[in-house]
Amino acid sequence: MRGGGGGPLGQIAVDETLTRADATKVLRRLRELLRPYRGQIALATLLLVSQTACLLAGPALVRYGIDSGLGPGDGGALNTAAIVYLVIAFVGAYLGRLVILMVARVGETFLRDLRERVFRHLLSLGLDFFEREKTGRLVARMTSDIEALQELVSVGLVMFVQNALIFVGAIVVIFLLSWQLALFVLVVVPPVVIASRWFRRESNRAYLEVRDRIGQNLATLQEGLAGVRVVQAFGREPAVTRRFRGTNEAQYDAHLETVRISARYFPFVEFSGVFGTALIIGIGGWFVNRDIVTVGTVAAFVLYLNNLFEPVQQLSQLYNLVQQSGAALQKLFELLDTRSSITERPGAVDLPDEGPLQVEHVTFGYGDGEPVLHDVTLPVAPGERLALVGPTGAGKSTLAKLIARFYDPREGRVRFGGVDLRDATLRSLRRRIVVVPQEGFLFAGTVRDNIRFGWAEATDAEIDDAISALGLTERFDALIDGLDTEVRERGSRLSAGERQLVSLTRAALADPTLLVLDEATSNLDPGTERTVEQALERLMEGRTVVVIAHRLSTAERADRIAVVDEGRLAELGTHEELLGREGCYASLYAAWMAAPAATG
Amino acid sequence: MSEEARADEPEPQPRPADEVDADRVAADTVAADKADDDKEARRAGWRLIGATIRPERWWLATGILAGLAWTAARVTIPLLAAAAIDEGILKSDESAVVRFAVLIVAFGVVQALSTGLRRYSAFRIALRVETNLRDRLFAHLQRLHFAFHDEAQTGQLMARANSDMQQIHVVVVLLPLTSASLLTMLAVMVIILIKSPGLALLVLVTLPFLNVAATRFTRKIQPVTLELQEELADLSGVVEESVAGVRVVKGFGAEPLQATRLRREADSVLERSLDAARLRAGFIPLVDLLPTLSLVAILWYGGHQVINGHLDLGYLVAFNSYVLMLIWPMRMLGMLLAQASRSSAAAGRVHEVLATEPAIVDVTGSRPLPEGPGEIRFEGVRFGYGGVAGPPVLDGLDLTVRGGEAVALVGSTGSGKTTVARLVPRFYDVDAGRVLLDGVDVRALRVRDLRRAVGIVFEDTFLFSDSVRENIAFADTEASMDLVERAAELAGADGFIDDLPDGYDTVIGEHGFSLSGGQRQRLAIARAVLADPRVLILDDATSSVDPTKEHEIRSALLEVMAERTTLIIAHRPATIALADRVVLLADGQVAAEGTHDELLITSPRYRDVLAQAEAAEAAGARR
Repeated sequence: MRGGGGGPLGQIAVDETLTRADATKVLRRLRELLRPYRGQIALATLLLVSQTACLLAGPALVRYGIDSGLGPGDGGALNTAAIVYLVIAFVGAYLGRLVILMVARVGETFLRDLRERVFRHLLSLGLDFFEREKTGRLVARMTSDIEALQELVSVGLVMFVQNALIFVGAIVVIFLLSWQLALFVLVVVPPVVIASRWFRRESNRAYLEVRDRIGQNLATLQEGLAGVRVVQAFGREPAVTRRFRGTNEAQYDAHLETVRISARYFPFVEFSGVFGTALIIGIGGWFVNRDIVTVGTVAAFVLYLNNLFEPVQQLSQLYNLVQQSGAALQKLFELLDTRSSITERPGAVDLPDEGPLQVEHVTFGYGDGEPVLHDVTLPVAPGERLALVGPTGAGKSTLAKLIARFYDPREGRVRFGGVDLRDATLRSLRRRIVVVPQEGFLFAGTVRDNIRFGWAEATDAEIDDAISALGLTERFDALIDGLDTEVRERGSRLSAGERQLVSLTRAALADPTLLVLDEATSNLDPGTERTVEQALERLMEGRTVVVIAHRLSTAERADRIAVVDEGRLAELGTHEELLGREGCYASLYAAWMAAPAATG
Repeated sequence: MSEEARADEPEPQPRPADEVDADRVAADTVAADKADDDKEARRAGWRLIGATIRPERWWLATGILAGLAWTAARVTIPLLAAAAIDEGILKSDESAVVRFAVLIVAFGVVQALSTGLRRYSAFRIALRVETNLRDRLFAHLQRLHFAFHDEAQTGQLMARANSDMQQIHVVVVLLPLTSASLLTMLAVMVIILIKSPGLALLVLVTLPFLNVAATRFTRKIQPVTLELQEELADLSGVVEESVAGVRVVKGFGAEPLQATRLRREADSVLERSLDAARLRAGFIPLVDLLPTLSLVAILWYGGHQVINGHLDLGYLVAFNSYVLMLIWPMRMLGMLLAQASRSSAAAGRVHEVLATEPAIVDVTGSRPLPEGPGEIRFEGVRFGYGGVAGPPVLDGLDLTVRGGEAVALVGSTGSGKTTVARLVPRFYDVDAGRVLLDGVDVRALRVRDLRRAVGIVFEDTFLFSDSVRENIAFADTEASMDLVERAAELAGADGFIDDLPDGYDTVIGEHGFSLSGGQRQRLAIARAVLADPRVLILDDATSSVDPTKEHEIRSALLEVMAERTTLIIAHRPATIALADRVVLLADGQVAAEGTHDELLITSPRYRDVLAQAEAAEAAGARR
């Protein structure tokens, strides 16, 4: 029953279609990417063509068997035909096996490389890119988009090419057998092609509608379940049920529309097939009578008819998959074409081991937006501890990001040890300057894996050293499996304090000269709080530190305090100096003192 | 503070994976015992499917008749073609050729019409069954009691209404379609057997292998597909955390490290994909090969029979067509068998939900709520979420709240404050003792009346994706605009509503305007007072409001509470101060009562509870 696949099972609806120009571009890029595999691809194509030839040989052999064997009653010729057919069937099956294996190997390897390439590129992009794009969309590039390609590689591609080959091959063969009869047969093909295109277009449209309605229905369902207590509290069950019935029926209607579309298409296709048979027999009979064709040819034509119809239907079904893959590729190429805003200059030099940090006349704004930092100049001596304070949105974090070269300044420059960060190798930059973010962000894996994140090549002994340097050996030993404790997704198995400790140890292992700290705003239970503070204190020892301070005590402990206000450096000096000046810092200090601990 | 509320609510906590794993091991060992349950569930599933199909029986009959017509036409056409060759072409009888060709076209028309009809009815029935069942399920879920929803996870229920329904849909589609296919198969076999038993044997001997191969393939590919899915999930996990933690990755220059991790995951995906490809490479060519072997058999054996005069040439061609007709039914039969087991299990799960009776229903002879001031009385109330056998949350609670009085319920985590509030509108029934509203046991009242008389503001203010107006008028969609505005005003929500882009018509929620916690809270209060309830319950209603904004809500609340019996669950002194009287709950009973100031002096326990709450809140605010 070849109409079996037209239902709502396994349909893909495509809402993004490529224009012809886009498709050409995508194909050109794809060809480039596939160049390393061209030998294998050529071989796979050759195998596929041979396999198709085997498939198409069948009816021709039946014809030979009938005309040379049955007609003259020649059992030998019949045996020959059958044996050749048998051999070809096995050869074809074997070739089919090879084709699947080769295409899978090439395709999946290609996808593996594409995944890696896209991911590496993604990670090389500047922070501005990540702040602009939604996480979900970026993840989708690496998951659903590549998975769409995977589906193409694993099932669609071979079928698509093979069906095209069968269709073309069948036409060639029937013309070789009898061009007269072939011309008549071809009359039925265009309507089927047109109908298939109509079907693809209509069912695509209808399935998009179904998808929307399913989404709406699920939303109603979800809301009805999540809010069931409210519904019952207000005695609104009947109304909510009625509303659900509305979206549920809407989903039914949309679905039924797809059924109607296929209920028009499949009868037409089935009829066309039968009509084709009638045509071959009617016309063929007339031709046989006039010795234009043989009975065997007529029989072969009846068999070939299948090879003309099936591919058209299959191709029209696969078309959506191919479209979808094209759209996915286009999005991936777009991502690969995005240039990183932070790159290493040719001839970049390593940062010196030590030296002062100099922020010089730095002006900066995100994207094309208004500047958020205006002409900031801030020297930090080696070994100095500098606190950045100021109201939310004043530009403290931005300044910290520029110091770590997450962004490049619009004007002015940031230098470390006299070298402009833009002239430094990224590797040395990340070794010398390390940013410890507010909340300890952990990755899936063990505690040890997470610490090693600070320096990938670190030995276990070096990790132990980093831990003991912060005085945390006992603390980590106390975890269920010690350093081998799996932290689970986002470190969910550890407490907030433990996560911060891992994050600090990570920084200690990295052993930077300059530490940029974004102080955590969340408070921990008093015990952990003390441990974290002690570890932090040890981490800062002997390093240049720039800390975004959210707490008064942190600011107080710093050597100097820089007050940032509205993108400018408002004040700079020691705690006492600034208090004495009775300016910004003094009023911030007053507010801090007044606020209850709760809103710290 | 959220911790505290959680202890009062038996919200199912996601369990650590270890526990689940342990459960799974345990589940395997008792799998044998469960097999019977499973069978019973499947049977119940089939009964449910059967009962849902019944109203569609005319369509079913239509589908089956169309399937019969389709089979008859399809099977006849090769016979006509054979006759055309044997009687017409080979005998050079052109009029016979034309006659048969016309007949073929005529049968083609029958085949086309019947195939449209049989497909349409099959899908229509299936859609109808799916839609009706989902409708029924939703309506039932809306009627099921709180305790059920406490136990069930929303995701699970969504799966019942979504993926399980799809499974049911598929089997309902397949049943009529496969039966027509099987009929075709049967007819074809009979014809071949009659015409040439020897050939039939040769042809039919290969086809069952197709079925065997398909079953084996499905069995083998399923675990591989599952593993592949898992590898893909791991891979997307690496991508997801790298993007989310990109600052850390870049801060430590750990891009190469993450890239290596990704490469490892991508390699696993590659391996699993190739495993799957190897299985496909063994199966797909076989699917093409087996029917071809039948075709070879027809050519060879059939050919010799033709030469020997035992068979007409036309049938040789017809048999070729028949073999092609047999491929699909064979494969569909396999599909149906695999699907039937999945679908009946799905239907069994749906049945399980539908078979759960709502526990909170009107008793026979329930009576309307008499007029009254809204006095609430708890008499010796015992209640636990685990039922009579479980540990009690309330144990012998006696409490009277006079009509119009405002009482604050205070207590530490798990003391049962929220539970007290939830027994009044009969979200749960007590295990012992009784709850009276204006002198009538709440169980004797009509649920609808009772709940109209009790307005509640839940701790998590759930609003619907609807306009502000519809949200406020939730209790009574017919409510006039005046009434809605008055409720908003009472709740102190009118101010910000006027500032919304479309005022009262502003759509809020996931796809609309997002409101702050305090604004949501005030809408929830407006919703609760719209119907002018006799009793108002504020379950931690000010908790999600910024302390600095709390005074705004407080003045609104004062107005709302006037001349209404009010139960306030609170822990902030400022909110407690709204009440006339404070009741301290501990160990499932009233531990102390009096005014806030009195209790501060007389009850050390009260002081402790307030201090704890404050500390928890401070931590929460900082978080």
